[in-house]
Amino acid sequence: MSLLTSLARLRALDEGIAQPIATVRHCHLSARPMVFVPLKLSGEAAAPLAAVLGTDRDRPHLLVVTQPRNRDLRFAWAAELAGVLLPYVEGFLSDTETVERRNADPYERALDAPQLLVPNTAGIAFTRLLGRSTRFRRPDGPYPVPETVPLLGRWLTYFGERAAFPGSSLMLAATEELGRHWASGQSGLEDANLAALLGWITEGPADDAEDPLIWPPAGPATDPGFDAEVLAPAIESGSAERITEALRTQLEPTWRLMWQAVDLLAGLPEGASVAQRWEQDRGSFSGMAAQIAEGAPPQARRDGAVAAASRLARMERAQAAYEVQRAYDDPLVMAEYRLTGEAFAGEVVETDPAHAEGEGRSRKLRPLVVVKTDDPVRLAPGTALGTPQRRGQGAELVSAGDGLVTIKITKGMGRGRTPTPGAVPEVGERVCYSSLTDDFQGSATLPEAEATPWTHGGPPSAYVPTDDDAQEEWS
Amino acid sequence: MSDRLDELERRIDGLRAGVRRAMRAKDPATARGLRAELRAAERAWDALVTEDAAPGTAAGTDGAPAAVPGPRTGGRGRPRGGRLVTVREQVHQALTLLGAPAQPRLVAAVSEALLDGALRGAQLTSLRRDEERSFVSSPYGRPYYLCAALTDRLSPARGLLTVSTWPLERRVVGPLSPRVDFLTCAMAVARHLGADPVAALDPRALRLLARMARNIPGATDADLGPPDPDRVAGAAAHELAVHAGRDTRDRAELAGRATSQLDDRARLFGASTLITVARDTVAGDTVTTSGTAGGTATRGRR
Amino acid sequence: MNRLDALRGSTPQKPHDARAIAALAANPGCTRRALLDGAGIDKDAAARHLGFPAPFGQSPFAITRGNAFESLVKADGCAELLRMLRELLGLPIAEVAYHDVENVGAHLRHAHTRALFDRAARDGDDAGTVYDHPLLSLRIAGHTAYLEPDVVAFQLGGRFHIVEIKSFAVIDGQADPAAVAAAARQAAVYVLALRRMLAELGHDPLRVAHDVVLVCPENFANRPVATLVDVRRQLGVLERQLTRMTALDRLLDGLPEELTFDLMPGEDGLPTRPAAELADALRRATARYAPDCLSTCDLCFFCRDEARQEGATDLLGRHVRDELGGVGSVGEALGLADGTRAPGEGQEEIARLLRNAERLRRECLA
Repeated sequence: MSLLTSLARLRALDEGIAQPIATVRHCHLSARPMVFVPLKLSGEAAAPLAAVLGTDRDRPHLLVVTQPRNRDLRFAWAAELAGVLLPYVEGFLSDTETVERRNADPYERALDAPQLLVPNTAGIAFTRLLGRSTRFRRPDGPYPVPETVPLLGRWLTYFGERAAFPGSSLMLAATEELGRHWASGQSGLEDANLAALLGWITEGPADDAEDPLIWPPAGPATDPGFDAEVLAPAIESGSAERITEALRTQLEPTWRLMWQAVDLLAGLPEGASVAQRWEQDRGSFSGMAAQIAEGAPPQARRDGAVAAASRLARMERAQAAYEVQRAYDDPLVMAEYRLTGEAFAGEVVETDPAHAEGEGRSRKLRPLVVVKTDDPVRLAPGTALGTPQRRGQGAELVSAGDGLVTIKITKGMGRGRTPTPGAVPEVGERVCYSSLTDDFQGSATLPEAEATPWTHGGPPSAYVPTDDDAQEEWS
Repeated sequence: MSDRLDELERRIDGLRAGVRRAMRAKDPATARGLRAELRAAERAWDALVTEDAAPGTAAGTDGAPAAVPGPRTGGRGRPRGGRLVTVREQVHQALTLLGAPAQPRLVAAVSEALLDGALRGAQLTSLRRDEERSFVSSPYGRPYYLCAALTDRLSPARGLLTVSTWPLERRVVGPLSPRVDFLTCAMAVARHLGADPVAALDPRALRLLARMARNIPGATDADLGPPDPDRVAGAAAHELAVHAGRDTRDRAELAGRATSQLDDRARLFGASTLITVARDTVAGDTVTTSGTAGGTATRGRR
Repeated sequence: MNRLDALRGSTPQKPHDARAIAALAANPGCTRRALLDGAGIDKDAAARHLGFPAPFGQSPFAITRGNAFESLVKADGCAELLRMLRELLGLPIAEVAYHDVENVGAHLRHAHTRALFDRAARDGDDAGTVYDHPLLSLRIAGHTAYLEPDVVAFQLGGRFHIVEIKSFAVIDGQADPAAVAAAARQAAVYVLALRRMLAELGHDPLRVAHDVVLVCPENFANRPVATLVDVRRQLGVLERQLTRMTALDRLLDGLPEELTFDLMPGEDGLPTRPAAELADALRRATARYAPDCLSTCDLCFFCRDEARQEGATDLLGRHVRDELGGVGSVGEALGLADGTRAPGEGQEEIARLLRNAERLRRECLA
């Protein structure tokens, strides 16, 4: 969190309503998202209790484990979940485009991809555990499960892991995304309560949001009072109707909140780089589908050393790219860098478009631009700069002082003796330059998995699921 | 009909909220009253729904426990062949097979896996008290009693069942006895399965054996296949030999004390801890004893 | 400690359990909490009486599950536990002696525990290995708190190990870090209590290992798995906080003599003191509210409400507070940002930043 966000929180607290901290939406929002609100049984790692899910706000599917202590019914529930989720996921696989690649065969990429929306980060963690507890199951052998269950497990695992990938929108937590776009007047800890956060954004804070009798928790944990006073007696009674009705009361309010969150996010214009990140999501999704189609085994319990290192490196790059893209897409995010002196914005007061350096053959066009700014510039001469107004362009800081910054354009103004029309900003234009640039070092050189050094455990043995995996109790 | 259901549902919701509010305000009296009303409303709702769905379809019974593929303890009610065996007889059979003091959990597992019994934990909790009552009203009126194991203070050991016909040395427990008895039980289970290859095919029996085997050194190869009963018995016997000498001595000493200090009833069901405590306190005797030197704690009991 | 007794007044003392003691270290800077805990006042009851009941509760399912797992670990002569201790710590096969401290009457358990551990520390080899239901004690600000660790294991190189049984799962080698941290804090309380007991008995307190044995279910099965957890850091924090609590006199010095947090329970045990009066009394002792309190302190909603009324920046979290360079009130911070308030001494830099931030927000949202 930056000082800018802190200030927004103070303002929110003072005015009694959340304040925007983004001017555009930084996540992709599907036209047909799958909203998924799971509940788990308290005290258990990943025992499902119920879920409400669907792509149509008027037609939620309510799935309930009607006797939560019965293991067989949990798998029946997982099969029901698969019955809703798998057709949704697979429905995106038929329309594809062919993508050409350098040094590799072209591949088919889905034109659109599924999107799972859960209320909070605990919902993502639970989805991952649900995936972990079902992907190793077998449709045959001593503890058979419906054959869709292990497939569901692999997809849930995929979505859960992808959610940790910076900038990915395949699986989102509502509280996280809302919190990225609005600052409430409460702490980050309290923002994890979906009802409370939405209250701040829409009508202002209300203590109701913390009363589980009015707003049941958005899961996956249930309210202990509900467990003791409603659910336990219902389970004791053995009545499936009672259990179902009890759980419906806990899920329905959150279902409504989730769609309210969707509407709020949909009300923001999409950021310029969102489509590009979604394209990566579509590629990743298509890759996962291809792996499944090729009969690859379920995801291993743990990554090998090389896989873990390369995954970490990928995530770091994605994180850096995501931060730069957000700043370039959104002046309010860029303002954070302007505040710290890593970026500046202002009006062009003078230009020398024909300025050149060197003589004869080594003569290079280096147009000069002088910007008047109120920002506290803390960049050294020679710093490479980029600008959201002309994304392909490169520039370099020449000098800064007394509210005036001189830069020279080094890239993206054409190869002629004079710059391409429009490449150099005109006097009077508002521009922004930043030391944040989107070109990153290539990936770290990591050995192939087969060449993992012994210091890192040696080459991993290929993961072969064992009977033990399939037989694990699901306590 | 559905109007009435709607109305009941509104009432149930209101009452639930009321109960939970009262609970949070730690107002048990109000909560209890509301809860009672809630139960009544829920029963009325259940009845109405069942009545509603019953004609023509089976939907009304969908939620009944019997139709659900089953809480394990619920469905499988009676032993094979319709032979009715009382709970106390099932426990007796399991304990006789095991041959050592055992916890209700193990007794139930053995009964289910090896004797096709169907015991529930809850059925065993009141058992010992019932047996004691029966003994008091007519001593030795039954051929056997299910009774307590005795601690080093000659009080009843919590959660350990024994049979009255066993020698006292087997019914008392010293510091090593829990381990010794576990190994004895494991040997008994393994030998039972070793002698009966058909029984050894039952997955419940294999699970029980595997669970015991993994806690005995050398009883299994790391998680490969089902355990071999002979090997489990051998490994248990091997560890047992390490503890047997001292345990036998401890138990003989305890049994001697029990014989000389306890009356018939206390020998079966244990001396009351409260009496022990009272005596100790009166004597100003800090309890510095444990294990075999427990004499001071039970001194002068009778 | 008379003043602490006066603070509590006629309210019965609330004994501390390990969880409560572990929580003492959660917000060491809070005077209100230090005094309430030091005097042994039931914060939960106080919060309810004030109309701000604590938002905590435990599901009966979680409780049942916890108990079932603990009894599984201890079943059949602690068979599972012995397997784990043998694997994890190399416990010799011969070491299996089991002592159930609860075999004596409830009020003798503590004395019995002392006697057993004294003997174990003295006799070494001939003593027991697994001590079930021991009862330890710890002095907290002049009062004795009794503590019940799950199990204490002895004989591993002549050392005692606290065994803590928790029912949260370890999945593929990973557990919920918050749950592990809470377990470690709680276990550290037991380590400290056992060390002090040994020291009192004239033994080397360091014979209690700082590695505690944490037993949890593995993956989705019920099979228990044990891990050693180093609690030295938690011990350090705890000892520091307990030392602080013996110095409560200093905190009391600035408070009026007649101050009391007495709930004045009536015959039914329910508080009779006017809530407003109690609230006023509590406000005399400074709180240090932080959003973290919402998961650790019974009085959190009361203190949050107070912070709201004061417009304190604490409401937004330590992070925001730190970023504001100690500007404590919302109005002050916004005044500096708007330029309607002149920066005080030492506030020039944060004022400049806030003004700049305000200018940027206005520009971008125009």
